[in-house]
Parts: sequence; C-alpha cells; structure tokens
Amino acid sequence: MLVAAVVWLKPAPGWSFRGAGYAQTTSGQSLAIIVNQSNPVENLSLTELRRIFLGERSHWPNGRRITLVIMPPGEPEREAILREVCRMNEKDYNNHFLHGLFTGEVFASPKTLSTPVGVRKFVFNVPGAIGYVRTADVDDSVKVLRIDGLLPGDKDYKIPMQARLAK
Amino acid sequence: MKSSIVPLTRTTLKVTGRIFKVLPMLLGVLLSTRVVRAQQAPDPADQDKQTIRMLLERVEQLEARVTQLEAARQGRPAVAPTLVTQQASTPAEPETETQAEQPSEPERMDLSKTLLRMRGFGDITLHGDNHKGDTTSFSLGQLNLFVTSDVSEKFKFLTEIVFEAGPDNAVGVDVERMLLEYSPSDYFNLAVGRYHTAIGYYNTAYHHSTWFQTTTGRPFLFDFEDKGGPLPIHNVGVSASGLIPSGRLGLHYVAEVGNGRTSRSPANEPVQNLVDENNHKAFNLAFFARPESVRGLQAGFSVYRDVLSPANLPRIGETILAAHAVFVRPKFEWLNEALVIRHAPFGLSHVFETPGFYTQLSKQFGSYRPYFRYQYMNESNREPVFPDIGLRHGPSVGLRYDASESVAVKLQYDYTLLRRQEAVNGLALQVGFTF
Repeated sequence: MLVAAVVWLKPAPGWSFRGAGYAQTTSGQSLAIIVNQSNPVENLSLTELRRIFLGERSHWPNGRRITLVIMPPGEPEREAILREVCRMNEKDYNNHFLHGLFTGEVFASPKTLSTPVGVRKFVFNVPGAIGYVRTADVDDSVKVLRIDGLLPGDKDYKIPMQARLAK
Repeated sequence: MKSSIVPLTRTTLKVTGRIFKVLPMLLGVLLSTRVVRAQQAPDPADQDKQTIRMLLERVEQLEARVTQLEAARQGRPAVAPTLVTQQASTPAEPETETQAEQPSEPERMDLSKTLLRMRGFGDITLHGDNHKGDTTSFSLGQLNLFVTSDVSEKFKFLTEIVFEAGPDNAVGVDVERMLLEYSPSDYFNLAVGRYHTAIGYYNTAYHHSTWFQTTTGRPFLFDFEDKGGPLPIHNVGVSASGLIPSGRLGLHYVAEVGNGRTSRSPANEPVQNLVDENNHKAFNLAFFARPESVRGLQAGFSVYRDVLSPANLPRIGETILAAHAVFVRPKFEWLNEALVIRHAPFGLSHVFETPGFYTQLSKQFGSYRPYFRYQYMNESNREPVFPDIGLRHGPSVGLRYDASESVAVKLQYDYTLLRRQEAVNGLALQVGFTF
C-alpha cells in the first residue's frame, strides 16, 4: 500500500514538488518575474523589462521607486536573466551599472540576495521591488508578471532557464 | 573489622571534640551576624515601596522606548531594503504595514540607507612628445573619489572629489561634481549643485574617469577648463532632466541654468563656484533620442547660451551649438560629435566662430580594443576669449588592453597638426583603474 502511495505521489517526468505546487524541473523551467502584490502592473514588454533590469527605468507608473533585486554571479537564474533579458555577459552588466551610477542615469544599484527565498521575501516586503525566481520558487506572497502577455509555462514565454538552441 | 572501627571512633571523637571547641565560636558568629542583619534590614513596608518605585521607573523607561520605536516605525514607509538584504536568509514576517501605500508622508531620511558608497578611479601615464618645451614624464592622473548616498527614496547625493597634480607638481583637490538629486519620476529629475554641462555627449558620459574612456584622454573639444579646453565643462546651478513620452523613439531632455564660466580674467578659477561675475545666467537645453529599435544608438543636440564679461572688453554673447550621434555597445563604439562656439561681442557686428568635431571608433577583441580617433578644432587667432587655442587637428591610434575587470593599459599615438607650428608626435602609455 505504501509502495502504491509512493508510486501515486511520484511526479511525472519533468515536474517536481518544489515550491507551492507542481512546477517544471530545471530542464524545462522558466524564470518568473515577480513583483510585490500591491504593484498595479500586470504585464511588461520584454523591452520594458530590459530597461528595468538595466536600471534605465527607475519608477513604476504609480510613482514608486523600482527596487531591483538580483541574485549573485554564478547563479543560474542570474545567468538566464543576463542572457535572455539584458543580453550581456557578467562583465558588461557590471560595467553597465557602474557606468550608469557614475553618470547618474542609474539612480540606485540593484540589491543582491543569494537565495530564491530571500528574493521572494524581499519582493514581498518592498512595494517597489522586482526580482526573478524559478517558477518552482513562486508562491502566493508575490505577483508573477506577464511578459509580452505570457506567463511562465505558456508557449513562447521568453525567459527560459536554459539557453535556447539555435535553430 | 575492629581495627577499622577503632580508628574511626577515634577520629569521630577527635572531630566531635573540635566541634565542641569551635561550636561556641560559631554560635557567636551566627548570632552576631543575625544581629547585624537585623540592624541593617529596613522595614518590610519600606522595602516593598522601594521595589515598587524601581518597577515603576522600569515601566516608564520601557514605555518611552516603545513610543520611540513606534514613532520610528511609522516614519518608515517600508522595511529598509538594506536591512532585508542583510537578513535575507532569515524568514521575514509578513507585515501589512510595509505594503501600504503612503504617498502623503514626507520624505524621511532612512538611516539604514544613507551610507556613503565610494568608488575610486585613477590613472598613471608615461607621456612624451616632440613639442618644444615638453619633457617625457611620468604623470599622476586624476585620483577620483566618486561618492553617492541614498538620502531617501527620492533624494540622492552624488559627488566626485578629484585629487590632481598641477603644472607646478603640487597636488590640489577639486570638488568636480556635487549634486543633490531629486527623482520623483522617470520624466522629471532635478539636481542642484555643481554638474557637468550637458553639451554634447562626451562630457556627461565619462566625467573624470579615465578608466571608463577608451582612449588615454579626452578630445580637445572636451578638455577641462584648467587644461585649456574651450567649453564650459562645469557649471554651478540647477539641472532638470528626464524622459519625454515618445514611445519607441526614447526622447530625453536636459535643461540647465547656472552661473556659467568665468571670463573676467584667465587667472581666475574657471568655474564660478561661489559668486557669479554677472547677473546673467547660463542656459543649456539638450534633447537626445535613444530609439528602442537600435540599441546603443543615441543622437541629439544642445544649445548653450551665456553672456561673458571679460575685463577691458565689451560683453560677449556666447552660444554653443552641439550635435552628436553615438553608437555604443559593450564590444563596439562609434562616437561622433560636432559643435560650434560662437562669440559675439556686444556692439560689434563680427562674430567669432570656432568649429570642432571628432570621430572615434573602437572594437573589442577579447581583452584588446584597438581604437582610432580623428579630431579637429579651429579657433581664430583674433578670438577674444581663447586666443591661444588656434587650429589643432589630427589622428590618434591606440590599443586598450583590459588586464582585469578593473585595470586597463592603453598605448596611444597622437599626431597633431598646429597652425604655423611643427606637427606634434606624441606617445602615451597609461594604466587606468577603478577601485
């Protein structure tokens, strides 16, 4: 009976039990862009998201300051954001922010948090925060934004965890 | 067994005998202690009052502390990000207060955020050329301390403090930028203090950092005032900037009002930090576009207007028109700027125009970035404000090698043609770094 229960509970290939519900494992997983639940924004274009993650936009439409929260270098989530959204490597991204702060065009540098839980809790606590976590690390404490009208898991969603193979 | 009992009995007797000897003494000590205690102990009623008084004092202290903490907490619009950052690994308690919109609250200084952040830039150069009077020298470049602080959610402080050796080899200190910025939205940012005038592109792109620049130095046109540059690079006043709603065109504006440059005497400090020599203020208006469709492209123009008051000369109207088109990506850059400086003495029909331009091209190959620049500036010999600049033009070629993410080594050759003088060949080897 126990064996039957284990077999019944075993997730299907490509899915795991991490987080609040079923989510795809790394191979098929996407990155969710998360904001505070009080943020009125529901959807961003990939261009708008890029501008936010490059510090070129510093305010939400409601006037609140955007607080960007990122993960440290080497984390797969950060690599995915740099590759898919910023289209920069680590060195160029760091130089971009250093230069932006120096010229004054970037108002504040991003906050770096080392764990998805930390990112989620930060976004939960700071009304203007925006960050990213794997879909498996999302829970109800934060809001997942649509990117170009698509949510993680939708077909053609543009921020996969792993690099897309060139066709 | 007996042998064991007898010694025990003897020992017991010995101890008992000693106790009997010591007992009167112990009783005496005990009695005297009780007497002393009885004499020192206060009345139980007094003791209770004292205890109650102490407890009341403690309660008052705690109430005061709670009031203080509540006041501090109400003044904070959200959980301080830096605090959260430090406590990222610990679970954060859900707090509805932190999520509440509090737009009507005044801006408060958040002590957890107003920490100074400092970044440094520096460079050291070995330079030599064949210009008469010049010597081959090692030169300390500008040691630039770039300091920022988030005063509150909408206010930020920024300064560039530069230590630099002058021609007399003495090191001096200049506050090159000092700005308090107010940023309520992407469409309107206000900064007051000393800033770099938004004339063209280069001046506000590289400021006082050699490390950020591809080349060893700035174009002639954008040389600093104390190096003989023709532009009012610095200004003291107010600057407003922001986005213009323009969709994918990405239009921006910059509007500045400041004291302008010193003109009364070349010996004076070129930037009017404290006192303007006339009541007229310098105005600058700039527009530029960063279209979404061509990432890295920026094109724009600016108009600068001031009135100069040189000693023993009529007042001079100064107008600087500048235009730029640059394409900057991490691995490639192409900078193009052109401007004209117009000096129109009041009461004279003649206008002195100084045109200038430069183009700069570079491409990154791994850690190496070869570059090329051609620059041109032509000032009339009768130019009333800067008679000693004249004609200068020529190419520069160089190679930048990024030895690490923070250190760049540059080798540059300059060939500069001058009016009625021998052309100058110069070679510079520079180490630029950030720390």
